[in-house]
Amino acid sequence: MATKPGTTSTTYSPIDPTHKTKPSIFTDSDWVRPDSRGFHQCRPAFFRTGAVNSASGSAYAEFGNTKVIVSVFGPRESKKAMMYSDIGRLNCNISYTTFATPVRGQGSDNKEFSSMLHKALEGAIILESFPKTTVDVFALVLESGGSDLPVVISCASLALADAGIMMYDLVTSVSVSYLGKNLLIDPILEEESCQDGSLMIACMPSRYEVTQLTVTGELSAPNLSEAMQLCLDACAKLAQIMRSCLKEAASAAEE
Amino acid sequence: MELPNAYEDLSSEMEVDAFRRLFPLRYFERHLTESIRPDARPLRKARDTTIALGAVASADGSALAKIGSTTMLAAIKMEVMTPSLESPDEGCIAIDFHMPPICSPNVRPGRPAEAAPVLSKQLSDTITSSSMINLKELSLVSGKAAWIAYLDIYCLDADGALFDAALLSAAAAFSHLQIPVVSLDSDGKIVIMSEEQKEKISETKPDNKEKRKLTLSTIPFSLTCILYKSYILADPTAEEESIMETLVTVVLDSSGQLVSLYKPGGSVLIYTSAVQVNLLFPPYIVMALEICRDLYHSCRCCFVIFDINIHA
Repeated sequence: MATKPGTTSTTYSPIDPTHKTKPSIFTDSDWVRPDSRGFHQCRPAFFRTGAVNSASGSAYAEFGNTKVIVSVFGPRESKKAMMYSDIGRLNCNISYTTFATPVRGQGSDNKEFSSMLHKALEGAIILESFPKTTVDVFALVLESGGSDLPVVISCASLALADAGIMMYDLVTSVSVSYLGKNLLIDPILEEESCQDGSLMIACMPSRYEVTQLTVTGELSAPNLSEAMQLCLDACAKLAQIMRSCLKEAASAAEE
Repeated sequence: MELPNAYEDLSSEMEVDAFRRLFPLRYFERHLTESIRPDARPLRKARDTTIALGAVASADGSALAKIGSTTMLAAIKMEVMTPSLESPDEGCIAIDFHMPPICSPNVRPGRPAEAAPVLSKQLSDTITSSSMINLKELSLVSGKAAWIAYLDIYCLDADGALFDAALLSAAAAFSHLQIPVVSLDSDGKIVIMSEEQKEKISETKPDNKEKRKLTLSTIPFSLTCILYKSYILADPTAEEESIMETLVTVVLDSSGQLVSLYKPGGSVLIYTSAVQVNLLFPPYIVMALEICRDLYHSCRCCFVIFDINIHA
């Protein structure tokens, strides 16, 4: 018999008793990251445009276990209730699948992330180029493996480019977690869960402009500038990967 | 005075795209008389189908199925529940179908697509009634604990024949499902078995060490067809579905038995009642069944290939 999802509270996923405690190795000096990366080394990034045919533009991004799809619809008619506006509107939404997280979730919308995605992209899009209409940017996190929001932001700007929406530059985003004295770039879920704080930058690398900067937790001034520089460098490299992905797609379309 | 036939006059001077948007039915009829479809398929040919197993690492079983550009991602998460009093040694399956806003321009966040709950129910009915899964295999401790398999299917790209793709991904996800090895702890809770425990047990019962797979007795497989006038169009795209509304979905299992047949509304209903349905099915449904059987063979090849990959 199939049960309605409303009865989820009575079920539980079996836990592994050996993995309960927070690993103490994070404080050791010769500690290595769970995926044996260097502290200042990002996960290999994979991008592909045109993941969803029914959308105006779309992109798929995979950073380790973090997998997201972003679809862009429009520019299309704004909702009837909207007031007249001589610049275009941007509408963003991020949702998670129920199996994205290690413990089964409810697949709910993520309001906070949605508004952060909006703020990160807003500054890069030439809204004047589509007056009176709306561009919808919808993201689905297929699997959450850490640094979800930065991956979604980068992937969304690629999807916007695929949809032919005018932008000043691609937006790339990278985050850094600090654990004690260490700065870890592009943290995975496990590292994020025990971080002391984090810094996320969304920027337009060619213009060297930052569209969004979020810092949480306590961070000293020299550490802050080091973390920012680390992120900006990684953003510039990410932009190269994204650009080559767009070029590949364009040359494949020509043939 | 006779009115001039609008499309006849315009079709010669209009661009193809404009004609397609303004007179979609006419546009399709023109193709149908030539026994071809706008995407260059013959009427009874389905689109290319691919299945990839294990697409989601965080799930116990998962599969990505593509029919043409219709894409479905199915993933199963296993949780523990207390079985009901009526069936103390049976687990259960909870199936949910989602259409996130990314999949189609017609779905907006906060307003779930109408089709999603309908398909959810259809899938759930089909999978339970096809006896693909023996629920007794999901039992852990009789009357105390059993597995509940949460199967969530996400439509990543909606381009017609959603049910077919969803069912395919669901069956593939079950074929990929690996049930974790668990044990009962002192509090009566089910926990994942640690490596040492596994080794201890493997000395006495060697077959209990590895993750278990479900035995799928039959695999249900479906085909959606459009019935329009005397034409049958197999595996329709979203555009075809929106123009010609009479759909028939036939579900067969691996032995060729009919599992279910859906015909949600549409104009052909009048026609079927007119011919009195003295056969069990009208001839066009029999034909649809035949196409479905052919397709099933190609699809089973997919499953066989993947099985080899898993065991190798």
